Amino acid sequence: MTAAKALSDAIRTSLGPKGQDKLIQTSKGETIVTNDGATIMKNIKALHPAGQMLADLAAAQDIEAGDGTTSVVVLAGAFLGAAENLLEKGIHPTIIAEAFTKASEKAVEYLTEMSTPVELKDRTSLLRAATTSLNSKIVSQYSSTLAPIAVSAVTRIATSTSSNVDLRDVRIVKKIGGTIEDTELIEGVVLNQNVVVSAGGPTRIEKAKIGIIQFQLSPPKPDMDNTVVVNNYAQMDRILKEERQYLLNLVKKIKKANCNVLLIQKSILRDAVTDISLHFLAKLKILVVKDVERDEIEFLTKSFGCKPIPDIEQFTEDKLGYAELVEETSKAGAKIVKITGVKNKGRTVSILAMGSNNLVLEENERSLHDALCVVRCLVKKRALIAGGGAPEIHVSRLLSQYAHTLKGMKAYCFQAYADALEVIPTTLAENAGLNPIAIVTELRNRHALGERNAGINVRKGLVSNILEEDVVQPLLVSTSALELSTEAVCLLLRIDDYVQAR
Amino acid sequence: MSAPIFGEEASEERADTARLSSFIGAMAIGDLVKSTLGPKGMNKILQSVSTGEISVTNDGATILKSVQLDNAAAKILVNISKVQDDEVGDGTTSVCVLAAELLREAEKLVLAKIHPQTIIEGYRLASAAALSALEGSAVDHSTDPTTFREDLFNIARTTLSSKVLSQDKDYFANLAVDAVLRLQGSTDLDHIQIIKKVGGKLTDSYLDEGFILDKSIGVNCPKRLENAKILIANTSMDTDKIKVFGARVKVDGTGKLADLERAEKEKMKAKVAAIASHGINCFVNRQLIYNYPESLLAEHGIVSIEHADFEGVERLSLVTGGEIASTFDRPDLVKLGRCELIEEIMIGEDKLIKFSGVAAGKACTVVLRGSTTQMVDEADRSLHDALSVLSQTVKETRVVLGGGCSEMLMSCAVEEVARKVSGKKALAVEAFARALRQIPTILADNAGYDSSDLVSRLRAAHYDGQRDAGLDMNEGSIGSMRKLGITESYKLKRQVVISASEATEMILRVDTILRSTPRKREAH
Repeated sequence: MTAAKALSDAIRTSLGPKGQDKLIQTSKGETIVTNDGATIMKNIKALHPAGQMLADLAAAQDIEAGDGTTSVVVLAGAFLGAAENLLEKGIHPTIIAEAFTKASEKAVEYLTEMSTPVELKDRTSLLRAATTSLNSKIVSQYSSTLAPIAVSAVTRIATSTSSNVDLRDVRIVKKIGGTIEDTELIEGVVLNQNVVVSAGGPTRIEKAKIGIIQFQLSPPKPDMDNTVVVNNYAQMDRILKEERQYLLNLVKKIKKANCNVLLIQKSILRDAVTDISLHFLAKLKILVVKDVERDEIEFLTKSFGCKPIPDIEQFTEDKLGYAELVEETSKAGAKIVKITGVKNKGRTVSILAMGSNNLVLEENERSLHDALCVVRCLVKKRALIAGGGAPEIHVSRLLSQYAHTLKGMKAYCFQAYADALEVIPTTLAENAGLNPIAIVTELRNRHALGERNAGINVRKGLVSNILEEDVVQPLLVSTSALELSTEAVCLLLRIDDYVQAR
Repeated sequence: MSAPIFGEEASEERADTARLSSFIGAMAIGDLVKSTLGPKGMNKILQSVSTGEISVTNDGATILKSVQLDNAAAKILVNISKVQDDEVGDGTTSVCVLAAELLREAEKLVLAKIHPQTIIEGYRLASAAALSALEGSAVDHSTDPTTFREDLFNIARTTLSSKVLSQDKDYFANLAVDAVLRLQGSTDLDHIQIIKKVGGKLTDSYLDEGFILDKSIGVNCPKRLENAKILIANTSMDTDKIKVFGARVKVDGTGKLADLERAEKEKMKAKVAAIASHGINCFVNRQLIYNYPESLLAEHGIVSIEHADFEGVERLSLVTGGEIASTFDRPDLVKLGRCELIEEIMIGEDKLIKFSGVAAGKACTVVLRGSTTQMVDEADRSLHDALSVLSQTVKETRVVLGGGCSEMLMSCAVEEVARKVSGKKALAVEAFARALRQIPTILADNAGYDSSDLVSRLRAAHYDGQRDAGLDMNEGSIGSMRKLGITESYKLKRQVVISASEATEMILRVDTILRSTPRKREAH
């Protein structure tokens, strides 16, 4: 239990808009700068079983809601602290566990009640939610750039009836160079790879016909072991010629199908392209991108509305995709292949993430992911609640009111649970350098007076109506954080022994 | 003077020493798992020494399976809990604890200079009496579907209440009962598939009819297919290689190599054509499907699913009624699997394939969600216990009461018998009754209640004729188990008593422990 609390203390300082970042050095020696709870927990590699469970908890929150990963761990730590006090009073752990579960159900009820429903068409609300999430990240200065990107990306994929969004349809391409401000949503597709220019092929094609091939433009290699027997010099010459001829034939067939942009899947068995085939392709003015991964194919075919071609015999025009422009541009020192004006576009989105160095870029991607998840949460459960510690205080107040109606040990547990919830506003205030006691008591007071949306305005350092400050978060993030942390704490509470097993 | 009889490192323990070591071993095991018993039992963390992986559990069998032991009697106890797991699926802790308590009582008798054989005789008498009392208290509701369902629901609740799922026991009890009733009397739990996905909370778990495969549909295929005719295969869909070691082709030019490659592709094409001739629209392969055959299949309008694993393929063949084929020359001989709908679904962040409306209508899938891996794993174990108990109950429909009620009932019956028995075995019979009473005692202890007070009140209640009295663990008092709906399967309880007394008897009979020389490992 101590181990779990220590961990939650460790990441506590990264909560909120004024939260600090953590620099993690991984076992491989890489450095990561982040304040994303899930990322920190994943890299801590806790030895103690309880610590590992907290890491899992953050991961679960990441899957379910995508954001609020720090909150969930901080909450779990606070609940454990509360449970410890109760244990000292001599209350049996199973009773605490039961009461906590009931309390979390009640809390979710209160949260749902205070939430306001939101429509997917209501772009400003979505924007506000995404901005709130981004504000607590390293990239907070750029929230005005990133939030609209996240919102447009998700709304483009989601339909008004869909209850979930597969974020794999949103592709984030990372390029070093420029600043985070250069991050943009691309109308079309961005590729991870660059155009092969070594043989002098084109880098810009208008009215492109795109073919994705899964075979290789290199000398044939059957699956059986083979040896080419060379007896004399003349034969060697002939072999070389045959090879050229073979490749030329392949390339000609491609040209015949009017293809002028070629994406080649990576192959582990043999070279995807050789210098000779590249040369031929360049001569026929075909733009080539190689090393496309197999798991990207699905996304690309979906985006272009084309079909992958696994064999030269099947290379026909109907399998190609069509785009207005394929172009490799240079932007802030990074080369990017952009494919725009795609006909028959599928429901996919590409985002080009930029950053001046690798650390910033990685964090940029993580923050974008969180923002996307926040918007996705709104697709899953279309309701918003206030942020800034307002919901926690609200629930804490109602729960402790409810605790007064109970009797027996349960009442104690409910009260402890309600008090533990105040950890969120307290931490928010602490991290912002405010006096936590003054702020939290004022907050409690305002809530008692009926201002249920009063929260901590971290920017100004005072308590105000948080809805007016546009600080909102999806209901799902809060409810799932509460439920998951309670569940994990209950599991931990019931442990009394630690057995070394085989 | 002693002549060496045994080989090096082989050892012998005799008479009292042997008995003592087996008593100690068995009791240690009993004490280890004792605290997990009952609705207020605690969990244990198991950490693997080799991999460092952790799991959290309060399933007796799982704990015992994973501890390392070097004591013959302890191993016997582990073994009976395993048998209990296989036979009934639950009660693994109870059987262990009961056996340990029986041995504890036996130890006292042995110290009082009673011969082990006399104790065994007494125990046999006692267990016969206990079993007949148990049978007398069992009720059978199988003729009335609604009460029977309620019985099942209560059993599931009782089983789950001692597990990690206790907070959501009503939800999961319903889920388990639904799943088992779909089986229509079969005890083949293979039809119920459990998929574990971390994320979400426990109550996000659900029962789905049909079968879910944790794989994805191939590129370029429709993601939804109605009235599917499925061919399940285990064949290599890269290239048919000649599996003769060192087979090589010698050619004298690249052109011929190209021809060879083409020939290989043609062969594949022929194979795909053969597959297509089965008149199918879905092809599931255990092995990989390469890009080329995949697109050929897509051209034939066949949805391909690759790399479905042994387990996936076997289950799929079980639920859809199709056979696993590996040659495709005789389409008329291959049995195809059928289902009404194949579609892609999302659980958490993962995409899976759902086969619904399958031929084996009883098949279903439980999707388990939870906050941590440990949580989901433990939920899986708990649900499995509940499912196996339920499926056994569907077969042996009699039920008895839980909450220490049955144990007290048996204990009282055994005490009645003890009065009529003459001779030293009477002491053993009494001891058996005491051991049975330990179960409610431990239940109460685990919940932090005053066990001596509660158990004596419970005994008094039973002598007063309240035959359904048991421990109400929520209130910490004596209550009617029938009213509280705390029911357990008759088969489970019976098995617990039988296994525990048999194991005790076996351990008691031991008077010498021989250890052979450990097998020498060659030094590397």
